[in-house]
Amino acid sequence: MIKAIFYKEWIKTGGYGLLALLLSTGFAGYAMLRMARVCSLKGADHLWIVMLQRDAIFVDLLQFVPLFIGLGLAVVQFAPEMYRKSFKLTLHLPLRADRAVAAMLAYGVATLAAVFLPALAAMGGYLQSILAPELWQHILWSTLPWYLAGIAAYLLTAWIALEPTWGRRLIDGAMALLLLRLYFLAPAPEAYNGFLPLLTAVTLCYGLLAMLSLTRFRDGRQD
Amino acid sequence: MENVIECRNLTHYYGRRLIYENLSFDVPRGRILGLLGKNGTGKTTTINILSGFLRPRSGECRILGEKIGEMNPLTRRRIGLLIEGHVQYQFMTIEQIERFYASFYPGWKREAYYELMGRLQVAPRQRINRMSCGQRSQVALGLILAQDPEVLVLDDFSLGLDPGYRRLFVDYLREYAKAENKTVFLTSHIIQDMERLVDDCIVMDYGKILVQMPVRELLDRFRRYTAPVGEGFVLPKTAGIRNPSVIRSTLECFSMEPEAEVRARLAKAGVTELAAERVGLEDAFIGLTGKY
Amino acid sequence: MWKTSKLFFWALAALLVLWQIPSCYNFFAVKPADAPFTLYSPVIGDFAMLRFDEEKRMRYTDASGREYTKEQFDSILPAFYCRQLVADGRFPDSICGRAVTLRQIQKANFNLRLSPSNLNAPQVGLQQLLESMSGRVDLTLPDDVFRITDTGIEFVRMETNQIDEEKSARFTEAMKRKGFHFPACRISGNPTARKEYDEGYVMLDAARRLFHVKQTVGRPYVRAIELPEGLVPEYLFITEFPSRRWLCFLTDTGGGFWVVERDSYAVVRTELPSFDPREESMLIFGNLFDWTVKVDRGGEKCFYALSAEDYTLLDSLTIPTPDRSWRGLRFTSPKDKFVKPRF
Repeated sequence: MIKAIFYKEWIKTGGYGLLALLLSTGFAGYAMLRMARVCSLKGADHLWIVMLQRDAIFVDLLQFVPLFIGLGLAVVQFAPEMYRKSFKLTLHLPLRADRAVAAMLAYGVATLAAVFLPALAAMGGYLQSILAPELWQHILWSTLPWYLAGIAAYLLTAWIALEPTWGRRLIDGAMALLLLRLYFLAPAPEAYNGFLPLLTAVTLCYGLLAMLSLTRFRDGRQD
Repeated sequence: MENVIECRNLTHYYGRRLIYENLSFDVPRGRILGLLGKNGTGKTTTINILSGFLRPRSGECRILGEKIGEMNPLTRRRIGLLIEGHVQYQFMTIEQIERFYASFYPGWKREAYYELMGRLQVAPRQRINRMSCGQRSQVALGLILAQDPEVLVLDDFSLGLDPGYRRLFVDYLREYAKAENKTVFLTSHIIQDMERLVDDCIVMDYGKILVQMPVRELLDRFRRYTAPVGEGFVLPKTAGIRNPSVIRSTLECFSMEPEAEVRARLAKAGVTELAAERVGLEDAFIGLTGKY
Repeated sequence: MWKTSKLFFWALAALLVLWQIPSCYNFFAVKPADAPFTLYSPVIGDFAMLRFDEEKRMRYTDASGREYTKEQFDSILPAFYCRQLVADGRFPDSICGRAVTLRQIQKANFNLRLSPSNLNAPQVGLQQLLESMSGRVDLTLPDDVFRITDTGIEFVRMETNQIDEEKSARFTEAMKRKGFHFPACRISGNPTARKEYDEGYVMLDAARRLFHVKQTVGRPYVRAIELPEGLVPEYLFITEFPSRRWLCFLTDTGGGFWVVERDSYAVVRTELPSFDPREESMLIFGNLFDWTVKVDRGGEKCFYALSAEDYTLLDSLTIPTPDRSWRGLRFTSPKDKFVKPRF
């Protein structure tokens, strides 16, 4: 039955997933292309020196890409469920509602992982060839909070989308905005390293919030 | 007879607005019960409570012996649900939606679904959001037939359907329910459809049930009475007489009481020359609930 | 699951309140308190202060409250305002009985800012070792970087991303010969071409012994620096000031502040009271006669005047700057460059 849920999610999001994969790897590829250009014009040592002396990581344009991809996935996945309350159909399926929602969220997180990992792998692959391990790892570590923000944006948007009333959606939306700020506070690259395990755990727990919306939906809350 | 649906002392409010208080009713196995009521009397509320999308303030409902709030998810396999407007997953094609639902129901009847789909002028890869409301109603019906549940809960099945599709839906459903001894609980805002379909009816007014009985019995007992009266005549409050009105010197009123009894009571109020007639379900409904 | 979700929701809401309410209050309602600009004046033997009064006018005073004119203020801080004094034709022949020239004064002036956020920050672990005796007037950046590993020093050529095995072996060998135990636990250098001269790096080895490492004419220069009995260095700060008087400053594990003189490698303790570079920031204005050292200790700013001759404490001044900000939950701090929850 869970497989069938995945099938339904795939029908909704398959096209978007491919687009997101293109966007994610496209932006990462563009960032790498810009670095390659600097390399060919000024030599690889210029990259190294700018990184060491100015704390630059050259991939800042990727900062909000995962966030928007995660948000978009949640919209593509959950807006059709809310259209004329089709979500009732999902809740009427002969499996526990919380398990159905958990399966939907797990599918989404797995999709995001499948969208983000190739971009990270591509960056890692290229950067390894021109930078010392300290430097390319410095870049990748610095991007991790952004990818985590993508997953957070997805789970928080799912929470808001499943919420049945607009009044409460506004409150949840305000909370979500503040929570998302948390991923963009870095005063320097790699600032999140120590906090990442806890932040990852908290991020995955955002999935629990969708259960609150589910309960409110089943209780028949209305504006 | 075993009750498949039992609701006891349902009370619900939206905010402070009372919808109904202490509403109780049963649906025995094999019966088709229609819930009739004007807008805002709580039809959708009742359907939502029955399908588990609304928790009433108090009272409880059981379907197949299980409390709705605590129902074993697998029990939902035995309950078919039609959402208002024949909503189905818009993003699926008729093939995809069949494949999706099939894995949830061990007794899935693929042929029943495709037999119905065969009559529709749709391509197998056409998505549901590209279909007309009538076509969507057939998809929704086909899915319910394939699921083959013991109990069907249908919310306003006539919404958005033209007369042809409505008739198709009603005939198909009645034939199926009767042949397979299914229990059906439904609402519709088009009462003629109900007359062809339901065995029993519940007529609701604001906050209460007016009538709960087999449709045949209701139509057998319910009469419309007309009589000529003087200009400005006002019928005093008379027991058993419902919704009296005077239009152009003609009194019109309704009653379920035996005809002789009604004649005697109205004679006391000075009304003679009474004409009685049998009515259809729609007129009975208006007679019971009034026009306003 | 529902109860856990509810609990999680309220925990998040509480965290957001603890985070946002104090931060909004601090942003809109709290003006950061700072001490007036303060320097020790060898002329009056007291701290001289520059501040704004209620009408936003500049006022020049000393610590005891005596008022000065702008011109008087220039005169009592002759090292700091030397260029102004020269421009006014008021530069003295001698200060505090000592004959001086503008060039002497300018060469001896230095300032140094030590901020905890520079120590408490992610480190990449790659450094650049300049050539300190290239024979050219201007310094140039090298085409390689180095890292200190558990077993040696490793130079990596940037253009090719390849390890320069020969140079690495040469430097590792030289360092080991001088008794350097890898890895290094602290390293301080200033790898930029925009300075007058290069002293390479000062390093603490695994045994917390102090070394000076630089590159002269392509060859390793390694010097083990003798430490006074009982000194366990904690943090190193290379100086490379124009005066060329010091190699570096360092703090020890007990909070003592030391200088390492450049020519003699003598390690001398200053009379500065305890200083913790991980928690407190320090700003030093030094000149030929004295240093004014400002230490920011959170609720108060402490000023110390040290003799430039022998680092004895001449005077001190504490100005309370109470922190009126609300505490709450914060994720960043001016004291470090990390993001993490802190109450």
